[in-house]
Amino acid sequence: MTLLTIFLMAVITFSTRYLFIHPRLPVRLGAKMAKLLSFSAPAVLTAIWVPIIFVQKGQLNLALNNPYLIAATFAILAAAKSKSVYLTMIVGLISFVISRYMLTL
Amino acid sequence: MAMTKQQARWAMAKKGFLDMLPLNLAVLPWGILCGSLAIQRDFSVLEALLMPLIVFAGSAQLVAIELIANNASLATILFTTFIISSRHFLYGLALRDKLKLLPTNWRYGLGFLLTDELFALSGHSKAFVGQLRLVYALIAGGSFYLFWLLWNVTGVIAGSYLPDLTHLGLDFAIAVTFIALVIPTIINLPILVTVIVAGVLSVLFKLMAFELDLVAAALVAMYCGYLTDRLQQKNRSKSDNIMPVLPEKP
Repeated sequence: MTLLTIFLMAVITFSTRYLFIHPRLPVRLGAKMAKLLSFSAPAVLTAIWVPIIFVQKGQLNLALNNPYLIAATFAILAAAKSKSVYLTMIVGLISFVISRYMLTL
Repeated sequence: MAMTKQQARWAMAKKGFLDMLPLNLAVLPWGILCGSLAIQRDFSVLEALLMPLIVFAGSAQLVAIELIANNASLATILFTTFIISSRHFLYGLALRDKLKLLPTNWRYGLGFLLTDELFALSGHSKAFVGQLRLVYALIAGGSFYLFWLLWNVTGVIAGSYLPDLTHLGLDFAIAVTFIALVIPTIINLPILVTVIVAGVLSVLFKLMAFELDLVAAALVAMYCGYLTDRLQQKNRSKSDNIMPVLPEKP
């Protein structure tokens, strides 16, 4: 039974990914739709990372001593300045570890 | 010195691997959690491995494991999987005009590999165009698949011996990776508006425990970005009409 469930889940995850790249699907994207979709990457990716920073265990955390918020701030500055993924990650992770350590002292 | 075709392909493969590597590492805690949770919830090893092998979707895997363990109905499990996966429709739509042109095998392959992470690396205006960019996408997406599998297998083997790594603050790793990918793309006001609206709404919807939180926040944010762009263009054409054309300086 679990095997069948897993198989059907795979059908769903693949279909949602594949449906709109199927050439015979009668969908034509106009210029306006293409413009709208050009904002999809910043929109979806932001909707993934921002809740990690501000919502912990279902609770809103806007405190200035939230280590996620402190480290995210440093990471955003590093990303804006350097545009380097690796440097941003290093800055973000180091400031996260340090602020977590300092705040639990 | 010009590169040979072979060298160019190798260089793109390497770039694809290195660009995806941070994301491959960032999902380690989730991969291990998926694998070990499946074992702790009495999945057989085969079932636990089929999850990353064919379902290949972190959040859907996690939620489904709990639902299956709690004897939820098949309809509930599949519907929840569908809701969680619905954001992929956006990725397919956004990349439709490029991917629909590909040969069948490439289309199925890259379609299968089209995760949040591969989509995050597909922002280039010419992504998936030409053989070299396909090599890039295949190596980026393929390496993510293999790493996801590796972390899941690690979780299956470690079972309950490892602590839940996601509660150790390791979820920050995925946040910082997406920060690194999104922030440099904010090159104009419409994108800035998109990011701010997506950030505020995603937090609000998450707190409301709204199931379509991610997709709804993203859709509204995209529309706000689109409207900002239209408004800017209107203003620009207006000021073009009012401003007299200055004679060029000699």
